[in-house]
Amino acid sequence: MMAGGSLNSDTNIKLPLAFILYALAALVISQIVLFLNNDVLAAGQFRIPDIWMGAHFLLLGYAVMIAMGAMYQLVPVAFLTPIWNQTFGFIQFLVTAIGVTAFSILLGVMPEFALYGGIVAIIGIMMFIIQMVKTIFKQKKKNTMTLFVIGAITSFFLTIVAGFLLAWNVSIGSIGSHGTILSSHIVLGVSGWFTLLIFGFSYKLVPMFSLSHGYSMKWAKPAFITYIAGLISLISSFWIENTLVQSTGWFLLLAGFFFFVLDIREILAKRLKKKLDKPFSFSVLAIFNGLGVHMLAFMFSVSGIRESAVWGWLIFLYVMSWIIFSILGYLYKIVPFLWWTHKYADKIGKEKVPTLKEMINEKHAVILFTLFVISVFGLTGSGLLYIEFFVFIFQGLLAFTSLLYALSIIQVLIK
Amino acid sequence: MSLDKRVGAALFEVIDPELGVNIMDLGLIYGIEVDFDDNIRIVMTLTTPGCPMHDSIKSGVLHRVSQVEGVGEIKIDLVWEPAWTPVKMSDRAKEMLGMR
Repeated sequence: MMAGGSLNSDTNIKLPLAFILYALAALVISQIVLFLNNDVLAAGQFRIPDIWMGAHFLLLGYAVMIAMGAMYQLVPVAFLTPIWNQTFGFIQFLVTAIGVTAFSILLGVMPEFALYGGIVAIIGIMMFIIQMVKTIFKQKKKNTMTLFVIGAITSFFLTIVAGFLLAWNVSIGSIGSHGTILSSHIVLGVSGWFTLLIFGFSYKLVPMFSLSHGYSMKWAKPAFITYIAGLISLISSFWIENTLVQSTGWFLLLAGFFFFVLDIREILAKRLKKKLDKPFSFSVLAIFNGLGVHMLAFMFSVSGIRESAVWGWLIFLYVMSWIIFSILGYLYKIVPFLWWTHKYADKIGKEKVPTLKEMINEKHAVILFTLFVISVFGLTGSGLLYIEFFVFIFQGLLAFTSLLYALSIIQVLIK
Repeated sequence: MSLDKRVGAALFEVIDPELGVNIMDLGLIYGIEVDFDDNIRIVMTLTTPGCPMHDSIKSGVLHRVSQVEGVGEIKIDLVWEPAWTPVKMSDRAKEMLGMR
């Protein structure tokens, strides 16, 4: 028999929770900011200060902060290695929270000073990257997940380098190729960082939450290599301005995503838990949304569709229906787990304790997730058709649903 | 009832909080050994290596077994090989997970 040894996964619950609570506030703020600017959204104008503010509260404030909090919790569990320095983690949280808040607000109200907020945010993100690299470095046996996480962190680093150049241009100016850097920044951020990260953790979380056994993960390496090749190809195409290379990039990204879906499909087919939890099913749905958007991107690319509003809404759909939906679903598993561990872990075997499923209200979750689907797809449709009234309605619904979602997560913490 | 049987019976009360099924029916307990001084050695596994419930379930086993009358020292060996497979589950567990 092979001994299990010490896992030592006891991350201080306050660390991931701090990130998650900040992120929930940022989610609500981002949706309110976007709601207040629904008229410019309806006009398909995304490159204005108020939209920058809303987008950065959403992506940096919500998605990145959640990803950081989740990684503080999941990396020790999945990599069987403790976090390098937890005190450093708390300092990193403070610096990043201050930086992201200042940067997002300055982008909206005083873009010429956004660089200074951006510098603080970058320091925070760099501290996080150092923390994760040091932690992963300690991992004894590297696996496929390590590969995806390293790819994600590398993309994250390049995203903030590109973001810094953009903030420099907005505040001071003088760096050329602003549009090309912006395109690279978006691709590296949403596809490189978030997608690779979700891929990596899905290989651990999907089998765990579905109790799957006997699956092969044979597509993991092809998925990684193809997706990375797609990223390189697509970003190169922005710089050399070649449509064939661009379409090749979109095709490789679609193929990489498809390989990942093949593995997920096999994992789910071999699951023992036939009835999946609803929030987890929502995260699984997000995977198919991501694949759908990749298909659309490839089709638009080969069809020669260049309209910036169409691509703007496609990016929105990718961010919301793939990245944000994945996170929304997983958070309904992660937060109950964190709180359960904090409150009931010592009581297991001593007294009756609730199961994780009993920590959340699944019926409410289903209503919330349905509202998210309606508002995101409704918003995208009405935005593409320039119907201002429906953009107002669906963005309002999205802001309201985000608020209810944040409250439902906070409710877990009083159980 | 012998001590190992009483320990086994007690472990039916330790529930995996993610699955809502007790660890005996899940087949996570590979062996319960009792020596001449009534010290207990439990060999167990989890459904997946790196299970986030690792510490909680292990300490749950420790707490519950320590409540069994006449138990001496308790040692828990968590092993990954042989790996847990669905074959180790009881019919009751399979039913609870909707496999039947």
